[in-house]
Amino acid sequence: MRTTLAFAGMTLRSLLRRRTIYGILIVILLALSGIGQVPSFGVEGESTFIVDFGLFGLEIGAMLLAIGLASNIYPRDREQRTAMPLLAVPLSRGQYLGGRFLGAALVQAAALLLSVLGLMAILAIHGYAVPGDLVPAAFLLVVEGWFLLAVVFFFSFWTSPPLNAPLTLLLFIVSQMSVLQFVSLVPTAPGLMRTLRLILPHMDVFRIKDPIAHDFAVPDVYFLLAAFYGLAYTAFMLSVALAVFRTRDLK
Amino acid sequence: MRRSPLPVFLLAASALLMASCRGVDYDIAEVASPDYTGLEDDHDDGHGDQDHDVLEGPGSEEEAAGDLHLHETGVRNHGTVWFFNQPWAASFIWVKIVRDSVVLLALACVVQVVSRPRRLRRHDP
Repeated sequence: MRTTLAFAGMTLRSLLRRRTIYGILIVILLALSGIGQVPSFGVEGESTFIVDFGLFGLEIGAMLLAIGLASNIYPRDREQRTAMPLLAVPLSRGQYLGGRFLGAALVQAAALLLSVLGLMAILAIHGYAVPGDLVPAAFLLVVEGWFLLAVVFFFSFWTSPPLNAPLTLLLFIVSQMSVLQFVSLVPTAPGLMRTLRLILPHMDVFRIKDPIAHDFAVPDVYFLLAAFYGLAYTAFMLSVALAVFRTRDLK
Repeated sequence: MRRSPLPVFLLAASALLMASCRGVDYDIAEVASPDYTGLEDDHDDGHGDQDHDVLEGPGSEEEAAGDLHLHETGVRNHGTVWFFNQPWAASFIWVKIVRDSVVLLALACVVQVVSRPRRLRRHDP
């Protein structure tokens, strides 16, 4: 475990040296401030609009962060031949994946929490009350980001970085669909489509922007359930990613 | 060279899922009981004068037919189905979320055990 944590620290430092994270973070914060600048024209409920679009923007930002942080880590290690000496002696493949994921997950969590603080600041500047559920929603957003990070790591072991982004985006879109919507894509094979939908993640579990924006109370236990689901799917994706990584020949 | 059994495992798992798939997954619109949806008699009885403030008046056909009406704020009705057909509002599928989480954790363990590289045994001469 100590080896994995030390490698996670190395990953954290290397990611903070890259400009990608700062670029994405600036884009997210600019988008949030843009949402805050839209005039209400006297219509009531502007805070609903800000929270709704703000949380939607943060969800998209979590996906962009995951792609920006993780899609290039393993391909770069392999191209620069740093993966071979690491895996030859000090690290097992599981420790390599664990360290890389942990480092990227810390960076992503910090960036997302900073973005949620930005959204709260925009609401406060405009004189609107900050919804109480925004704090647990922020942690659920972080869990969703970790899940997307695991998906990007999984794709990075068997696709190139340019293909990783569209595949992750496709999974993100498809996972938002209900069973009936997904089956309607290929109505001639409902059994196959239902099986595929069962395997694909239910990302609608993370969708809580609507009740928060419309000031509906979400039960506290639901946040725990959704976080448990997200962490379980993250563990599954990392497990499959490690299984794929074990079959990779680094020569 | 030893071939990984992972594809075989995934294929078998998919086949098992295929056989027992219908009704296992949760689409709230599909599995919700009429008690939850409360919409089975929405257009028969729910649009009566007792339950709604009908915006009557001269003008469009909708108004003439009495289709334009107001519901109480925050109540489930035919116009707010999209809002309440989300997992946070449908507590009857929370058990399935927990079930899926446990299955995923078990699958993660199985994948790890199946894909773990076997140590080569040393053959004594």
